[in-house]
Formats: sequence, C-alpha cells, structure tokens
Amino acid sequence: MANANTGSLLNKHTSNATMATAPYNYSYIFKYIIIGDMGVGKSCLLHQFTEKKFMADCPHTIGVEFGTRIIEVSGQKIKLQIWDTAGQERFRAVTRSYYRGAAGALMVYDITRRSTYNHLSSWLTDARNLTNPNTVIILIGNKADLEAQRDVTYEEAKQFAEENGLLFLEASAKTGENVEDAFLEAAKKIYQNIQDGSLDLNAAESGVQHKPSAPQGGRLTSEPQPQREGCGC
Amino acid sequence: MASQEEENVTEVQEPAPGDSCGPLEDEPATVTRKRPEAKLPSDVTSAEQQVPKDVEKAGLLWEKDSDPSAISPTGWGYLGSWGKSLMSTASATVATVGQGISTAIEKAETSLGIPSPSELTVDRQGNPEAETSDAAKENESSSPISGAFGVFSSITTAVQNTGKSVLSGGLDALEFIGKKTMDVIAEGDPGFKKTKGLMNRNSTLSQILREAKEKEEQQISDMVSVDSEKKAHYGLFFDDFLGLSHLEALELLSQESEAKVTCIVSALPGKELESLKPELEQLKEAFSLVEFEEEEEEEEREGTKDFAHELAGLFAELHIATKPEKVVRARKAAYEWMAGLNSESEQEDKHGETTVVQSDHRTSVEDIHSFAIRSQAELTAYSIEMFHKTAALVLYCEKQDATALERAKALSQITILMCKELSSLTKQITTHLTAAGVKEKSDVLNPLITTVFLEASNSASYIQDAFQLLLPVLQLSHVQACAEPAEQ
Repeated sequence: MANANTGSLLNKHTSNATMATAPYNYSYIFKYIIIGDMGVGKSCLLHQFTEKKFMADCPHTIGVEFGTRIIEVSGQKIKLQIWDTAGQERFRAVTRSYYRGAAGALMVYDITRRSTYNHLSSWLTDARNLTNPNTVIILIGNKADLEAQRDVTYEEAKQFAEENGLLFLEASAKTGENVEDAFLEAAKKIYQNIQDGSLDLNAAESGVQHKPSAPQGGRLTSEPQPQREGCGC
Repeated sequence: MASQEEENVTEVQEPAPGDSCGPLEDEPATVTRKRPEAKLPSDVTSAEQQVPKDVEKAGLLWEKDSDPSAISPTGWGYLGSWGKSLMSTASATVATVGQGISTAIEKAETSLGIPSPSELTVDRQGNPEAETSDAAKENESSSPISGAFGVFSSITTAVQNTGKSVLSGGLDALEFIGKKTMDVIAEGDPGFKKTKGLMNRNSTLSQILREAKEKEEQQISDMVSVDSEKKAHYGLFFDDFLGLSHLEALELLSQESEAKVTCIVSALPGKELESLKPELEQLKEAFSLVEFEEEEEEEEREGTKDFAHELAGLFAELHIATKPEKVVRARKAAYEWMAGLNSESEQEDKHGETTVVQSDHRTSVEDIHSFAIRSQAELTAYSIEMFHKTAALVLYCEKQDATALERAKALSQITILMCKELSSLTKQITTHLTAAGVKEKSDVLNPLITTVFLEASNSASYIQDAFQLLLPVLQLSHVQACAEPAEQ
C-alpha cells in the first residue's frame, strides 16, 4: 500500500502462497512477530526468509506487514504467519496491539549500532508483557556481514540472551546467513514445547493453531480472547 | 422482563416445513447488511436470524440472500427482466439450500429433543438453577440485551451441549453456529456494554472467515482426485491476498482502542463526560450507512465517474500518509483482463463460424468465474488492508490534520464507494460470463453466476464489517485529541 515496492513484495508473497496451495497440508500455524528498533532490518529479514532475496531499499513499515512460509520441523509442515511490525518509536502504541497471540518473537538489533542493542530491554519488556509466558523469543543480531563496523560483540549479546533465556543468533539479511535458521530455531523450540506439553494449544493466545486432519477440531477453543480488563492508558 | 420474554418467544417460531422463504421475508432488503446489533427485547426475531447470517459467513451458503433484491436491489436492478430471470434462477438455487438449513435446524431441534423456545422459557422460570447458569454465561442478564439473547442462547446452549455427538453432515454447521454464538455471548464483559452490540460480532469476523477458508481447504483436500481444481475458492484467495491477516490486525487495533476508550471515558469527570458523549454519538452516527441505496441509484445514472479519482479524493480527506494504490491497481488489472475478453470476442466475430476452433482458445466460463471470484477476493482483501493501514496511521498521528468526524465521514464514503465498485465489477464480469456461457447449459452457467453474485454480496458485507471496526479507533483518536489541550 505504501508504495510500489511494498506492493510487489506482497504480490510475491501471494504467488508464493498460491504455489503452495495445492494440498494445503500443513498441520500447524505459528504466529511470529518481528520487533526491534527502526532500521535494524526486520522487513529485510522477512523478505530474505520468504523470498530468498535481499531488498536493498526497504520502505518504512506502516503498522505491520505480513509474510508467510511453510516450513518443516520433525516431519511436520508448519505455516509461519509472520507479523513484521513497524520499528518507529511513534508506532509503538500501535504495534503493541499486534503482539497478542504470538507463538514466537524475533527481537532484532543491528550489530553496527549500539543504540539498537541498548533498547533491547525495552523491547523485551514489551514482548514479555504482551505475549504469553510460553512465547519463544529469539534474539537476532542483524547485519552480521558488516563485521568492520561491528559495535556490539557476539559475546555480550550471547550473554544477554542467556541471562534472559532467549535463543540467539547473528544473521545477515543481506547474505542470507543464519536467516533461515533464525526462523527455524524458533519453530523447533515452539514445536518442542508442544511436544513436551509445556505449550497448551488450547490455552488462550498460544499463537498456535493445530490443523487436525479431521475437519472438526478443538479449534474453537483458541478463539480471540475477550478484551483485557486493564488498559494501557 | 420475564413476561416480555415470553411474549417474544411466540415470534421465534421456526418456519413451517416447506415454507422455504419464511425466514427470508423478514430480512430487510438492503445492501447495507449490518450485523444484528444488540436489540431491544421486541426484536427477538432478528436475534434469531443470526443463525442464517452466520451460516452465510461460514461460507455455507446464504439463506438470506436468496431474495434477489436483497443482494443489491438497485445495483443490479438495471439489468431489467434479463437480470430478474437470472436472479430468480439464482434465488431458486439458493432457496433450496436455505430450505435445507432451516429444515436442518428444525430437525436438529426435534431430533435432539430440545424443548421448543416457549417451553424453554417456562423451564427457565421454573428452574432457577438453570437460569443462573445461563445468566452466568450471558454475564449481562440485567441488561435489556440479555432479554433478547436469553431465549436464543438457551437454544444454542442446548444444541451445543447435546449436539456434539448427534449432529452430522450439514448439521455440523449448526453446532458451529451454536458455539460461535455462545462464544460471542459469553465474551460479554459488563464493562464494555456501550459499544458492545456491534463490536462483539465484529470481533469474530476474521475467525469466521478463517474457518470458512479452512472448510474450503478441507473440501479441496477431500476432492483432490476429483476434477475440482478449477473451482475458485473465495476464502483461499482472500487469505492469499492477506485479507485475513489484515483483518486480524485491524481487529486487534479495534479491540485495543475500544478498551482504551472505555478506560479513558470512565476516568473522566462528569462534566467532561457530558460534553464528550454527544460527540462520540455523532461519530457513531457517521458509521451507519443508512443512505446507501438511494445514493447508489442516483450515482448509477451519473455515469462512470472515475473510480481511482474519486477514491483518491476521499482518501485525501483522511489526511494520512498513505494512498490506496493497491486497490486501484487491482481494480485496474481486473478491467484490463476484461478488456482482453472483449477483444477476444471481437476477433471471433470476424472469424465468423469457426465454432470448433473458438472453444479451444477462448476463455472458458470456468476461467471467467475463477477470475471473478479472485478479483472480488482481491479487492476485498485490499480494501481491508486499506482500512487497517488507515487505523494504524490514525492512531499513529500525533497532530490531527482532520477531525475524527471528518475522517469517519470520508471512510463511510469510501466504504460505499468500494461496495459500489464491487457491485459494478461484478455486473461486468457476469455479463462476460453470460456471453461466454451462451452455449453452455443453464445448469452449468447458473450456479457459476449465482456464486459470483453471492460472493459480491459477501465481499460488500466484509468491507462494511471492517469499516465498523474503525469506529473505536476514531473514537480513541477523538478522545485523545480532546484530552490533549486539557492537559496542557
């Protein structure tokens, strides 16, 4: 909607989805959100993941954009429904609304800009407060190809991730390095949580929809929830 | 309250078997298909009609629309007698389905041994325990709304509880509706009473659409071997164009805004509240699309105003930093495709009688049909995306270049414009469809045309529902705009 660039991106997603149409044989849908400061490369990571291409000049995201891709974890086909949120500070109030019901969160910073790393605790607070306790959060240090301009060391980020119980990877939307893994690692973790029972699919806002082969399932239990009592005002 | 309820119950009788049009006649013939709002007790019949409505949303076919005038009384009226006969074919097809559903409901009720509505009421009165459990579920039994829903929800509870094991085939739909309705009712939060009537129903729209899509997916996977791959599925297209995602996102924004508005308003001192109320009321009024039909008829005669130009003009009134380019592009592509069909048929005219060759390279009715459904889904999805972006930007803007009321009015015009556009696009496509299918048997062509019209109608109601989701967003922006100068 914003401009031709976004348009073609979305159209490609569309054709992607259409290609996958025929059997529609995925068994789960996971909702992901991508969060982080403006310009860290959230949309580019998504584009690289869904299109396997680097988008050089990416427009600012308005509110949220979407991408989907079907992946396979332990022989199970999983459809990722990815919500790529706007990073602009002024959009924070709006983007906070989108966290609800996310099964996975990709928290992205730019390894060449320390400020984007310093803001992580604020993003983490939002992610923890606005999603459910089982939401898998993966920390991604993007722009790993720009080693010369590195401003945040791998070790400190790794330590931050460990202290906060996050998965962690450095990736590059430009070269594609680790991009695939970032999305897959989170999916594996979510799937594992489902398998060992720590993620209850029937729980409110699990962010996972199961698609049993039988037409009628317990799907209705994962309905959108009634509005929360509290409000952020 | 109790006596009122009882009185109303008599109106809730199921239609007599065979009277397939029974439930249809009550349906106001209007394009502006609002979801049932919270009704006064005297409107129990409308609450009852939720059943067919939700059936329709579930993509299971469309009882209410079988009245041809209900689809678009003026929109397609100009087709004259040709259109009428076409539409009555359509309505005949649908009426059968409609009958099926009402019969199913009836069967379900009798075969499950569910007491008649009037018995139920008596039951409720005689059994305080049952009543309290119902009341607990409704969570709002003191409001007049519950009077209307009371009877209805008792029925659905019964269906839901006993239904699971017994229902089969088409009756699954009924179970689904029962659950759906219960969810909507049980969701009731006393704190949100004010805007509840409309919003509750809207808050599940994406869910309903998603489930409809899933049904279609299921159907497809069930019929892989059958020659159905050419069949067009609205719900799948709609999802492919990210309509579902944007709708979900819009719902989240809408719910959040609603909660914030409630919160802010309840914290206001009485005096400010008094002055704010009429303003919020005004906003709400801008969201009722009452004058839809008349306007449509007038402008129909005005001839072809440039859609893109008109949309851009209305959009400019919103004063937000985005343009509805996708909608415009999708529509343009649709018309270009149809122009291609025109040149196709012109070529044929020149070739004269080479009928056999024609059928080879000519676009088939199935192709046109599939294109029609795809275009409708595409335009609808992009309209919803447009609304979602609008909501995000309205909430994003710090300084308001337009008042919420101005925006509401522009958005309501945009909604009307989009619905009109969908209707005229549908008209054109069906003209092509009819032309291409001139040699087809009517039992091939008619169902195709029928689904195109029905999806047009569905599209219009999705757009209107999405539009309604913008109300809390604009209310919030209004309330915040009011609060700001006061703070300084």
